[in-house]
Amino acid sequence: MRTITGARTDTREGGGTGVVGAGAGPDASAAAGAEAGPGAGSRTGSVLDRDKLFAARLFAVRARPYLATALFALHVVESRRVPTMAVDRHWRCYVSPVFVNRTPVEELAGVWVHEVSHLLRDHHGRGDRVARERGLTGPGARLLMNIAADCEINDDVFGDGLVMPEDAVTPGSLGLASGELMEDYLSRIGLGAGMQHLAWLDCGSGADGLEREWDLGTDGADGLSKQQQDAVRFRVAQAVKSRPGNAPRAWKRWAEEVFHSPQPWRDLLGAAVRSAASASGAGEDYSYGRPSRRSAGVPGAVLPSLRRRPPRVMVIVDTSGSVSDAELGGALLEVAAISRAVGGRRDLVTVMSCDAAARTVHPLCSAEGIPLVGGGGTDLRAGFARALRTAPRPDVIVVLTDGQTPWPEDRPSCRTVVGLFPRDASRGGSWIENDPDYEPDTPPDWARVVTIG
Amino acid sequence: MALHTPSPDQLAVADELLALLRDSTTEPRPDDQLEALTLAVAADLPVLLWGEPGIGKTAALTQLAESLDLPLTTVIASVHEPSDFSGLPVIGDDPAEQGVPMAPPDWAVRLVKAGRGLLFLDELSTAPPAVQAALLRLVLERRIGALRLPSGVRIVAAANPRASAADGWELSPPLANRFVHLQWTHDHDVVVRGLGGTWPRATLPRLDPERLPNAVDHARRAVCGLLATRPTLVHRLPGGETRRGGAWPSPRSWEMSLRLLAFASAAGSSREVISLLVRGTVGDGPGLELLASLDRMDLPDPETLLADPAGAELPERGDLRQAALDGVVAAIGARPEKARWDAAWAVLARAAETGAPDLVVVPATTLAALRRTEWDVPPTIERLAGAVSMSRRADEAAALVARGARSVAGAR
Repeated sequence: MRTITGARTDTREGGGTGVVGAGAGPDASAAAGAEAGPGAGSRTGSVLDRDKLFAARLFAVRARPYLATALFALHVVESRRVPTMAVDRHWRCYVSPVFVNRTPVEELAGVWVHEVSHLLRDHHGRGDRVARERGLTGPGARLLMNIAADCEINDDVFGDGLVMPEDAVTPGSLGLASGELMEDYLSRIGLGAGMQHLAWLDCGSGADGLEREWDLGTDGADGLSKQQQDAVRFRVAQAVKSRPGNAPRAWKRWAEEVFHSPQPWRDLLGAAVRSAASASGAGEDYSYGRPSRRSAGVPGAVLPSLRRRPPRVMVIVDTSGSVSDAELGGALLEVAAISRAVGGRRDLVTVMSCDAAARTVHPLCSAEGIPLVGGGGTDLRAGFARALRTAPRPDVIVVLTDGQTPWPEDRPSCRTVVGLFPRDASRGGSWIENDPDYEPDTPPDWARVVTIG
Repeated sequence: MALHTPSPDQLAVADELLALLRDSTTEPRPDDQLEALTLAVAADLPVLLWGEPGIGKTAALTQLAESLDLPLTTVIASVHEPSDFSGLPVIGDDPAEQGVPMAPPDWAVRLVKAGRGLLFLDELSTAPPAVQAALLRLVLERRIGALRLPSGVRIVAAANPRASAADGWELSPPLANRFVHLQWTHDHDVVVRGLGGTWPRATLPRLDPERLPNAVDHARRAVCGLLATRPTLVHRLPGGETRRGGAWPSPRSWEMSLRLLAFASAAGSSREVISLLVRGTVGDGPGLELLASLDRMDLPDPETLLADPAGAELPERGDLRQAALDGVVAAIGARPEKARWDAAWAVLARAAETGAPDLVVVPATTLAALRRTEWDVPPTIERLAGAVSMSRRADEAAALVARGARSVAGAR
């Protein structure tokens, strides 16, 4: 969190004469600071001014009531080796006494909220995962993670009662769009010349997953176990949900997703199509149509035998104007890959484009893609009717649509999977001039719906 | 490498090498997921282990069977036919007279004869649907053909996650509701150390006979206390594709949770283990609510704190401490009396002196609002001066920000 006050302090206290350097000296110790009494703030920066620190926490709780549980759950550790304030993955908060003395209460409150946000958003766990997935090693990569995590936090925690310092890292200051996640920012920034001024940034192992030498570690006292951390996150999420008017959008999104990670739509679509394609009636199952290969060995017993019939998959693609080509292309490729995986031969997968009327039907034999015809309004009922009329009838219908369509009244006679491109209703997806209250129907109950993208 | 004619000696050398490779030691190491599995098996609830192939599910089951001293029967579901589980119809001399008996497979006969054992149904997810249907009857009704498995037989099944399952295996909500779902993961350190020659030896929980009545009482209070205040949690069918096939709350799964809680508290298990079990039974959201209410049950009783404010033992963790203080203030609100009000101030003063004073501010404000006009302010309140000045300091900072709000907004 040196982001916030580091540079400014240097000017205020005389050209960086080692305020931080003194803190990191050899005599430094990471002792829990219980010795500081009231009024210590008036002396020069060696004793932790706990009153000031806690007044700032009170301020933060008043400004962000839904974070109260998390703020109070942090265990404060006085440490002269941290540059400013930092957190570890066990929810300890390391505080530099020098930093507290030189920072006004209202800015300290912002630091509290910033640090607790790292923990609530599980930046250390996500940092570890990203490091594994992308093969990132070394302190440089972790520093980038810290910057990316700060970007995710700083673009929405400040304001509305909390002060944003001039030198906080924001997506804007790095020339990036705001409102994205740490992982996205991480892939866009690199340790170039423009990053040199951020090289001293340090929010601790709670922000980027890299253990610091001042960390009390897993065995140290007063840490929160994983289950306790989950409990705190859960309570904060409940608090955010219970006052939807007050929390900023990013926090609401966090509260929705904290225990339900965003849908892995590729997996879900795959599972839905596989399940639809291999449920009884299609694909591989036992039948009594021919004697079992075991029959010879068990005279007198009646045995079923295994027969296999690959499923026929019909993909109906909504080609009305409201669905973008990129969306359709991506989803179509997925479906083709999935149906191959379930044993559907390519000639058994067919694709039909449909807007207000059902268009041509193409088998998926040619690798060069399928001409998708259309662009007008949407009525998928025509597509369903046409699909069910084709001979031989498909075992599974997969519909790729944005949902701005009427749906068939009755359940069709084969299993249906809907891949739905989400549309923000407030952005005004579908609109009818004569009927401003028109809202398109939601996908029916009988279909398995997977939200894509 | 020189080429030699193979000789019997070479095979002996190979055996020696194999023996060296097998030679490994064990070390004790707490293992939460194994402890959760043990408790669920002890509680006689069907367990479903979800895990990627090759992650050590079978090894865990072997260890579990050893430590529970149960003979292990492993049945690989995917290489069987449905009639292996529902019974082979064997036509006798006079079917019209004697009927057609459904003959059970040999492992079932042996299990029934032994009367006890651990039945492990592996690779559930790669079996064809008809085999799965037959297996579920085995799991739920404990029947194989004409045989019924004795109560001493415990059943554990294993399945691959939907994303990596080759076929369309997934549980319908009614079936999912009957299992305790445990996610099986591997621990990187354990694997590396194990391949290096030292495998972990889990210390398994022992049920303490003296704790049994308390355990039942504790579990009942926890579950009933939560469901009494949150009626919507009792039954909630899973909606949406993400949560399909997983745990969800219903009276049946709450009863399973209650049983698991009782077992866990009789065994003195940690919160991590309880968390795995409860979330695997009623789902993440309701499970976390139950865990949160367990936390509240562990808070000191407000009346105990009021009875002896000077010796009040408050939780160290800030959020729990504030919850305890809120409980004290709420107790005064429920039964306002002058003596109790004074005692509450003494509790708050003690809290301000033994921990972070900012925690006291909100409870103190609420408590002050409970004052009746005829009540004098107790002298104890002076001990809260630190908290009051802290509150003022925060107010001043807020006023400063409010004045500067325009410039802050401008800076953004």
